[in-house]
Amino acid sequence: MAPGRRLKRVVASQPGFINLKSTSDPGSGRRKRVNKNKKKSWNKHSDINDVDAFLEDVRHQERTTGGLLSEKSDDSLFFLDIGQPKKPEPKVAEPVEGKKRKGKTSRPLRIDLILQHDSLIQPPKDVLAYQQPNAKKLRRIGQKAEQLAAKGVVPRRQKQLLNRRPVNRTAKKAVTEANNNPDRDYYDIWGQESKDQGDSWYLQQTGKKLVKRPEKLNEKPSVLPAVEVIAPGGSYNPDFFSHQALLQEAHKVEVKRQKEEDKIERQLAVNREDTATEETILREQVEGLVEEENEEEAPPNEEEEDVAVGAISLADKKTERQRKKERADKIKAQRRLANRRHNDQRQQLFQLRSIKASIKQQDQKTMDKQTQRKANEEAQKAQPRRLGKLKFQAQDMEVQLSDELAGSLRQLKPEGSVLKDRFKSLQKRNLIEPRERAKFKRRLKLKYVEKRAFREIT
Amino acid sequence: MGGLQKKKYERGSATNYITRNKARKKLQLSLPDFRRLCILKGIYPHEPKHKKKVNKGSTAARTFYLLKDIRFLLHEPIVRKFRDYKVFVRKLKKAYGKTEYSDVERLRENKPSYKLDHIIKERYPTFIDALRDIDDSLCMCFLFSTFARTGKCHVQTIQLCRRLTVEWMNFVITSRALRKVFISIKGIYYQAEVMGQLITWLVPYQFSHDHPTDVDYRVMATFTELYTTLLGFINFRLYHSLNLLYPPKVSLSLTKLSALSSSLARVVSTAEEEEAELDQFPDEGEDIEKLEAREKEQKQLEAQKKLFDGLKFFLNREVPRESLAFVIRCFGGEVSWDKSVCIGSTYEVTDETITHHIVDRPNVDKQYINRYYIQPQWVYDCVNAKIVLPVEDYFLGVTLPPHLSPFVEEKDGDYVPPEKLKIMALQRGEKPAHGQEDEEEEEDEEEGEDEEEEDDNEEEEDDEEEADEKSLKKMEEQRSKVKVTPGKMKVENPARLEEEEKAEEKRLAIMMMKKKEKYLYDKIMFGKKRKVREANKLAAKRKAHDDAEKSKKKKKTRK
Repeated sequence: MAPGRRLKRVVASQPGFINLKSTSDPGSGRRKRVNKNKKKSWNKHSDINDVDAFLEDVRHQERTTGGLLSEKSDDSLFFLDIGQPKKPEPKVAEPVEGKKRKGKTSRPLRIDLILQHDSLIQPPKDVLAYQQPNAKKLRRIGQKAEQLAAKGVVPRRQKQLLNRRPVNRTAKKAVTEANNNPDRDYYDIWGQESKDQGDSWYLQQTGKKLVKRPEKLNEKPSVLPAVEVIAPGGSYNPDFFSHQALLQEAHKVEVKRQKEEDKIERQLAVNREDTATEETILREQVEGLVEEENEEEAPPNEEEEDVAVGAISLADKKTERQRKKERADKIKAQRRLANRRHNDQRQQLFQLRSIKASIKQQDQKTMDKQTQRKANEEAQKAQPRRLGKLKFQAQDMEVQLSDELAGSLRQLKPEGSVLKDRFKSLQKRNLIEPRERAKFKRRLKLKYVEKRAFREIT
Repeated sequence: MGGLQKKKYERGSATNYITRNKARKKLQLSLPDFRRLCILKGIYPHEPKHKKKVNKGSTAARTFYLLKDIRFLLHEPIVRKFRDYKVFVRKLKKAYGKTEYSDVERLRENKPSYKLDHIIKERYPTFIDALRDIDDSLCMCFLFSTFARTGKCHVQTIQLCRRLTVEWMNFVITSRALRKVFISIKGIYYQAEVMGQLITWLVPYQFSHDHPTDVDYRVMATFTELYTTLLGFINFRLYHSLNLLYPPKVSLSLTKLSALSSSLARVVSTAEEEEAELDQFPDEGEDIEKLEAREKEQKQLEAQKKLFDGLKFFLNREVPRESLAFVIRCFGGEVSWDKSVCIGSTYEVTDETITHHIVDRPNVDKQYINRYYIQPQWVYDCVNAKIVLPVEDYFLGVTLPPHLSPFVEEKDGDYVPPEKLKIMALQRGEKPAHGQEDEEEEEDEEEGEDEEEEDDNEEEEDDEEEADEKSLKKMEEQRSKVKVTPGKMKVENPARLEEEEKAEEKRLAIMMMKKKEKYLYDKIMFGKKRKVREANKLAAKRKAHDDAEKSKKKKKTRK
């Protein structure tokens, strides 16, 4: 750092400032002797401002004009003023890219101008960028290769490269083998006879043989057909009566739903008179607080308690007589019963006809019940089974009201979604269980914190 | 006593069932994987008869599977693939987390995948078994092919479904297997007969797209995975049964095939030989009547298959092109459309040989003379009626007759809508008189259709009485002018005679019944008559309704 450039920290030592100790005395010209041999003291005590100014001037000239003014030619510095030059020809309208400015040419942006180099000196070259550590070696290799190529010799590496076979870029294995590849191949799966690959025991033990499918799995889980055609009233241009029939069914479903809602509402209904009024509230609150009534009631209660509660008498031991009597009674009763039974059996002979009739009736009843039960079972088979937590919800009937019916195929607005229909059909046929969407459950509870700003306000 | 006491819930139904969670743990799979495996293998939960026993005393609602089924699942090789996939996902996540993208690439290339071929072979050991279950797979594949390719479900699945459905439709066209079509508000129902199996499937409309949120897409995707495999194999087999090349070779790609306008290439292009009609001998146990009935049916079927033979159709822009092209080509007709709608149009609108032009607008700008301009319902109604219906009812601007469902079988005495009666009459060959009121016709035909014996008898008796009166009058007139004229031969209608004989026999048999049997018979007849009475009531209502409509129309026109 040039000493002239260093900012003179001490104000007193800056030029123009009169020293505190002014040496106005010319006689005392004794200045302190400074040793300028060391760098430090030389830096401190020498003044190179004039050199600095000269060098600044030189640099300034080079920056602004690209060289020393003294070295420039006369023509570049001066010109002869002859007078008004001719007006230049009107410029051809250049096609301006971007914005059109009428008459004005577009000026460059200020930031672009600021960022440009404003001195005429070229920025220094980055030598390191041009350095290559093994430039000589590479040059030698290049020269050798040229020589060989000129001679016609092909080096071994190149020969191997040329002989290599081109790469077969096949489609990705994962894509071709995927199940839903649109170009996948099919073959005759039922036509090929099973090839005997080996011993069945061996195949079974090594896991190559497929286990036989149990017979029960081949039964269909439901008797319903896969595709149920909609009733004739569901046509896009239906016949009057079939459409009415379909509307009637939809109406029935709606009526049922309405009935259920009404039932619930009825159960929840409260009698108007039962609602609490102010009087009743007051009475409740005051109950038991008024003392006069209490005293009157107390004495009658005490009288009632004295009434004998129970007349439980202990039993005396049984005497012999009593026991004998009991035994005789028992025997009599038994005999009577036996007699009765005997008589009944004999009388049944005469009741054969009515007995037959009653048996027939019972048989008829059991048969009726059996048929009924069978019919119920059959009906049950057509119903969807309860396979899980949720019950099967049948979808809404697809019906178009009379004013929604389209006159032509072009104006038809389709009703219902086939996707949903298929999904419900799968559920109805017991192939999948009805499920609802899984809810998002948080393991840890969320914590809400007010922002600091709001906490101060509230 | 030792430990020989029987403990509860150790035997019987309690040990035959296993809950879903226990089964999942036994297989060591996560819940979605377990569900996917069950769907692929065809293992469904069961509802036990006595839930309390199986649930060991509690009545909580649980999902039960049969223990033997789960034990069968343990041997399934794709269970291993599921576990591999789980490991793959874990490794992939780790590589992503460490931002080692070369590892990600490598893992992705070696993604584990499984094949379902052995499952198909196991679940459907014969081809006919698979054909019986094709309804579901067709519906699913058609549904998925109408999905938008947004990426919600794999786009390859949608493409594969589209390819399979197009192949199926082309097969049905080539084999002329379509029998019934029904346009409903939900979608279009088709029924085809392939190798003796009746197959019904539902195709949704192309423009209806609301994706409901309460449908489990993963489950549907798993089902589709299984069904696409199944349908692919079935297509292969069906194509080979008709000696067609599979995968179908059309000059351009799938789009040209999906235009449904070109026919499929055959494996060996042989000249079509005319098979000599073989003499048919009755099988054991079949009488000649049945044989004749069968022959008649076959002839009808043959005639039905060539319904639109020789007819040339042109579809306007606003009609559903794919559905109509499919139906028309299934019955032998030629069809084309405007070039800008879809590729594969064979002739232009200016072609002179077009016989029917299908339009759905109220009016058309330019009308060519030698072609009929009809609404699309005509095609579908013709297919359902199995004959070519008169075109007048389907002209532009005419209120169409209702589109009846071909899937409804009317029993005796049920209400038959008058349109259907007209069609049945046409089928029998009677032509409705032009210019007459339709209602009068319908009434007459209705009365004729009543298969109630007594009504017929009454009618006959009425007719006879009237005839008697008339003849009496005539005789009186003729007495004044007595002449001898050559006798006219009474043309005895043999059919009528037969009917009369049968009626007589029936009456005699009724008279000879025992009291009890007669009682039952009366009950049955009462029930039948009730139906007929209801049908008559409905018909009267319909007539009143139509009258009201007509009077309304007249008022309108007068105004």
